[in-house]
Amino acid sequence: MNRKSSREAFFLIVLAGVMGFTYTLVTKQGFFSEKKPSLQTTAPNLELIPLTKAREFFESRTALFIDSRHEFDYMRGHIRHAINLALNEYTLHRTRLDGIQKDTVLIIYCDGTECNSSIDLAAKLMESGFSNVKVFFGGWQEWKSADLPAEQ
Amino acid sequence: MKSILSNTILILLVRVLLGGLFIVASLDKIVHPDAFAAAVLNYKIIGSTLSMVTATILPWLELLSGLGLILGISPRASAMTITALLTGFTILLAVALARGLDISCGCFTQDPNVDKIGYQKILENCGLILLGIFLLFTHDDAFRFFPSFRKKPDQPTNS
Repeated sequence: MNRKSSREAFFLIVLAGVMGFTYTLVTKQGFFSEKKPSLQTTAPNLELIPLTKAREFFESRTALFIDSRHEFDYMRGHIRHAINLALNEYTLHRTRLDGIQKDTVLIIYCDGTECNSSIDLAAKLMESGFSNVKVFFGGWQEWKSADLPAEQ
Repeated sequence: MKSILSNTILILLVRVLLGGLFIVASLDKIVHPDAFAAAVLNYKIIGSTLSMVTATILPWLELLSGLGLILGISPRASAMTITALLTGFTILLAVALARGLDISCGCFTQDPNVDKIGYQKILENCGLILLGIFLLFTHDDAFRFFPSFRKKPDQPTNS
């Protein structure tokens, strides 16, 4: 806008840096935290399975596939026989899992490696007592690319 | 048009709205820098070290700019910073949506299960950017609560 405002804006950035680094140094958080940031998950011990393993479960019919994407995406295409339980509608639709044994192998997937709803949904299912929850991290995109059985 | 840009009540309202929003948005990030770094990392644009640096500086920049707008300390520089932050974030959102990311926005809370990104967020940001641009072009620096910070009006540049 003008030179004075630009100078002041630069000063704001420097001041924010000084305050931010001082605060995180004192509280041992953020930049000075001992642990590196990782993609947000609420279930650090969750088993992530690759396509080959997901395919094995699918072909042996020993697992229930759960699609954690929005219903709209599910309707456009999903892994054959998968049921839809969108993460943001978990509370509303969790009754879809009524009658399923708690030790059933559940394989959760979302769109692909760049979404986290499968992990978050898996965490919720583990919390609600399901003991055999896995995440197919390659998700719908990898399944579709491999031309494996799907339906709309 | 000139009367709108000089309307002190309107300017003050926009400053309080935009400033307040940024102050509120900064608080959870300041308290939880690790979670905010993870939220930044989720956009998959920068690595973990840069996301830590971002999570360290950005919340404080939001807080200082918000306070600057409300308290009238360098309001134009604060508006400039806020507009730049909003523009950058909106581009980031658009890229994330185009890549099909299904992630939390990381805007007001660091809970990964709420406040997901979406086109609505882009529209909201565009509205806020317009407010920021409005402040950049206002003729009035009214309601500076710290008169000692007031300096002579800017000299017009000859560029």
